[in-house]
Amino acid sequence: MNKISRDFSIMVTTVALLAVLAGVWLADIDRAYDSRATLLPDQVMTLFSDPKPLTAFALTDDENRVFDLESLKGKWSFLFFGFTHCPDVCPTTLAVLAHARDNIARSTVGAENVQFVFVSVDPNRDTAGKLRQYVDYFDATFVGVTGDNAQIASLAGQLGAPYRVAITPGVENYPVYHSTAVFLVDPRARYHAVFTPPLDAEAISRRFKVVRELEGDNAA
Amino acid sequence: MRWRHPAVVCLIAALGLVPAAGKAGGISVRDAWIREAPPGAPLMAGYLELRNTTSRPQVLVAASSTGFESVMMHRTMVKDGMAGMEHLSQIELAPNVSLIFAPGGNHLMLMNPKRALRAGDAVVIKLEFRGGLVLPVTFAVRK
Repeated sequence: MNKISRDFSIMVTTVALLAVLAGVWLADIDRAYDSRATLLPDQVMTLFSDPKPLTAFALTDDENRVFDLESLKGKWSFLFFGFTHCPDVCPTTLAVLAHARDNIARSTVGAENVQFVFVSVDPNRDTAGKLRQYVDYFDATFVGVTGDNAQIASLAGQLGAPYRVAITPGVENYPVYHSTAVFLVDPRARYHAVFTPPLDAEAISRRFKVVRELEGDNAA
Repeated sequence: MRWRHPAVVCLIAALGLVPAAGKAGGISVRDAWIREAPPGAPLMAGYLELRNTTSRPQVLVAASSTGFESVMMHRTMVKDGMAGMEHLSQIELAPNVSLIFAPGGNHLMLMNPKRALRAGDAVVIKLEFRGGLVLPVTFAVRK
């Protein structure tokens, strides 16, 4: 073996060893902090110490059924506001949420009492049928909901989810501005936590696991 | 000798150290992909990494594809807690700099696909640069 290739082998081995050690170290950190410590506001999630109870609102789901405050009770709900004519942020976020749901479903507690709700802020284009087809693609359990502007604003306002629909006559792809956060509502219909981008499926499912464990029967 | 000389272009191409999905005129392309969308979704997004390996700025002025009704260069901007899209009429690539189109940032907005695109499909999008260079890039559709 000539010197260059030997040096190269040593370098590769060193890098590989360092990578393994870094992985072990990070896994340790993760275990050590898999507690309330990780739940302080960070890059992934903000957990509220005093979750705010939501008040009445009324939307319609993708099968034309009422979706209101009662629909949030007895389940953990992940809510995301967007619209189906959204090429970048919405499909990216829904794909992450679908992956997070898979992780949650595979965990010991499962995803039975967890729902994922896509709130369209663009009811003008997002009919129930279109919403059904859209959310179904990401995950068959996802629910699409919408309503008139006042109805959407009622829920969005309570979660602090800003949005603006700039309908322009004659313009097919009018601009829609919407929050990029994912809101977590607990089974008592309280605004419990918020996930902010960059969103990551593993980080979301891991944080959610701890939130659910901490809440235990409190939230149910 | 100017960078456009064919020999230089060949040399630049030969020196490419990373697998490129396409390369022409000193612009290299990596990881060109389109996110598969729900059936009937009118808008999709294309992502890629472009690198200008020439010694002078290159300006991306348009993108087009026979696979879509139209293609536009967009950037997702977050302002006042809201995401919105900004249309870009041109994007400059400085010499030896990479320009990344990725979820949540720059993207090619692909309007009304002519046929349903599923993961595993491939679509060619032509990138047009100032000065007449046209770079056909094959985008892989994936989830």
